Amino acid sequence: MLNLRYFVIFLSLLVGLILMILPLPDPVQIYRPNWVALILIYWNMALPQRVGPWIAFFIGIVVDTSQGTLLGQHALALVIIIYINQIFHQRIRVMSLVQQAIYVFGLLVISQVIIVWVEGIMGRPPPLLAFFSAPFIGMLIWPWVFVVLRDIRRKANIN
Amino acid sequence: MNQLHYREQGTSIRTLFLVGLCIALMFVDQRFNHLEVVRSNISLVLSPIRYLVSLPAITGSWANEWLSSHIELLNENSALKAKGRILNARLQKMQVLKAENTRLRNMLGSSRKLADQVIVAELLSVDQSPYRQLIEINKGTFDGVELGLAVIDDFGVMGQVIHVNQYTATTILISDPEHAIPVQFIRSGTRSVAFGNGSVDQLELRYLPATADIKVNDQLVTSGLGGRFPADYPVATVISITKDLTHGFVSVLAKPLARLDSSREVLVVKSNNGLTAE
Repeated sequence: MLNLRYFVIFLSLLVGLILMILPLPDPVQIYRPNWVALILIYWNMALPQRVGPWIAFFIGIVVDTSQGTLLGQHALALVIIIYINQIFHQRIRVMSLVQQAIYVFGLLVISQVIIVWVEGIMGRPPPLLAFFSAPFIGMLIWPWVFVVLRDIRRKANIN
Repeated sequence: MNQLHYREQGTSIRTLFLVGLCIALMFVDQRFNHLEVVRSNISLVLSPIRYLVSLPAITGSWANEWLSSHIELLNENSALKAKGRILNARLQKMQVLKAENTRLRNMLGSSRKLADQVIVAELLSVDQSPYRQLIEINKGTFDGVELGLAVIDDFGVMGQVIHVNQYTATTILISDPEHAIPVQFIRSGTRSVAFGNGSVDQLELRYLPATADIKVNDQLVTSGLGGRFPADYPVATVISITKDLTHGFVSVLAKPLARLDSSREVLVVKSNNGLTAE
């Protein structure tokens, strides 16, 4: 019974993964928000004991496999932002959606910097736009992601 | 309050450990091949998702085929028949050349070259990292695809297989900045290496001496050196040559012949570079 509820979390992460590999036209790809990060941030805010650094790590490895990037690249980014989120989430939870979105923008920029930094170390530095384009879009859609996942969490009665 | 403090401490240690693990994994993945098994297995679990995401594109082209009008099909049919006749005629000439080649090799006492085996594959419409030039194909170890096999389309070399699981494979394109392919100029026989730089219509040939016999529009084919790519497959056409007189080198740009950003059907080539003894 418990497992069925947590299956909803797993399913939402799966949807995030699908959104990461959905085909987009080449010039638009760089604006794709980090769906997995957004969904993970929400669940870490809502259930910090259940969804924590370990889940961030494993999801990150799965994202690395599906994206063809170095194993550990996205994992590192997600682990770090989940850690930061663990520290701040209680204060953030009570803020308005707009203020939350700005906070999430900060997290996404940190995650993006880590990913792009590793790309730079590997000898293939992405364009400057790559630092902000995806986090900016992520910030804009955060209120929507928050509301949708909150409704799903309430309907599925997950606590 | 105390509980919060303990929990945060626990998290810090856990996170530090995971951060260290990530860095170690990246290091190992970059330098060695040990993690290929891990990647392959995770990739296997992901393959149904990849097929699922690819479904709209496949359905789209299937619907397109199904709804083609009778007239369109008749026209396409006669165009294909005409093309088939032309190719057959060229094939006859090639058979003659092949026979002559075998005779000449026999006369010289050399061994016979076997034809390369090919596996037909289709692109899965899934996106991977926007910072890499990678494509996913719908054939895997189950169909005979192995790591390192060359991938080509109708027009030229596209890349090689770098990750594979039972049902799908990841191919790195020749335009990826991490990729280099040994090439040879058809006209002059000069050998060089073509590096990708992230752009689908440009390859860089570096470190050619200024004395090299090269011209714009020269054709480049694989040289077969290094054993990764079978020889004599078309790669690119030279588009610009810039002389760097201070160092005595020329900087050459070439345009890949393969349709790197639009080909949907590809061939995976199992090269029989090893020559057989008679």
